[in-house]
Amino acid sequence: MAAKRITIQATRFDPDKDEKPRLQSYDVPFADESMVVLDALNYIKGHVDGSLSYRWSCRMGICGSCGMMVDGVPKLTCNAFLRDYWPKPITVQPLNNFPIIRDLIIDMDDFMEKLKSIKPWIIRKQELPLGAGEHRQFTPQIDEFRQFSQCINCMLCYAACPVYGLNDGFLGPAATALARRYNLDSRDEGLKQRLPMLAEAEGVWECSFVGECSVVCPKGVDPAKAIQQTKLDTTMRFVLPYGNRD
Amino acid sequence: MPRGWWTRRANYFWYIVREFTSLPLAVWLLRFLVEVQRAQSGPKGYAPHSSTAFVIFSVICLGFALYHSITFLSLAGVILHFKVLDRPIPSRLVVLSQFGAWAAISAVIAFVLIYFAR
Repeated sequence: MAAKRITIQATRFDPDKDEKPRLQSYDVPFADESMVVLDALNYIKGHVDGSLSYRWSCRMGICGSCGMMVDGVPKLTCNAFLRDYWPKPITVQPLNNFPIIRDLIIDMDDFMEKLKSIKPWIIRKQELPLGAGEHRQFTPQIDEFRQFSQCINCMLCYAACPVYGLNDGFLGPAATALARRYNLDSRDEGLKQRLPMLAEAEGVWECSFVGECSVVCPKGVDPAKAIQQTKLDTTMRFVLPYGNRD
Repeated sequence: MPRGWWTRRANYFWYIVREFTSLPLAVWLLRFLVEVQRAQSGPKGYAPHSSTAFVIFSVICLGFALYHSITFLSLAGVILHFKVLDRPIPSRLVVLSQFGAWAAISAVIAFVLIYFAR
């Protein structure tokens, strides 16, 4: 019996030669039911066309590098199984809403700037000496932010967000989810430093709750929830006398 | 973004429908405010629109209002997070309480309108 094969239509774009991105078809053997789209891309690069460019690293849904549009849906290609698409051809394109550098590689500078702006690290007003011991946390305190700490910065949520597509000034889902992760952390005291970014018009208030960011998240993070809860929190801080806490 | 981005996925389409419902609802409510203003001059000044076209428009607006309200209240469980005795209230309970409050308030308004209209 002839081995199964599948067609991969991948975006090709060389900024030095091409005016706009185009799709190129590749015929790939589908030998193993556990093959994912990333395996197919690696096959193309290794056996058919070494010039195909894309990002990947861990191959196990942890690093967040291999996010691409698979049949128009933002997915980690290491978690998109060929068996779910076969025998139809699969279209693989770079993530929506980002400039393309080459082939399937997007320019992530805008996201990195936004990420940096919300200061995704624990901020203390005054650092204690090491001898003072660790900052202890109990399980209920960790449960407050655990879900938001699962974000792997894969940017699928940005590719799914039409609000970000229409206005790239929008802070966006992942950056807000990570800001909330630190704002909810009992060890953190940096809320007031993050608020200017979160509460401005292009912060959480730009979101009109499409909800696709949470649908496409491969780690089960709910950025839409983070954004709506931040809206509520910033409103409460404004209207309630005791709301203006640190 | 291509102009037809909202047709690419069902969720995008229903999101746009949800946002669009605000427009006819705003038109209907403006018309309603005009009627309320007219009613200030007594029963003679009150002349609600009763054409078939307006009744159909009102029924469509009711459908839009229900769709908008149901989607909005269903999301309440995502947004609101309460704790009782240091334990978070399940989001399903939050959503049910929202729908319960909606039904109760609607019943009170219906009672007032029907009782005083007699």
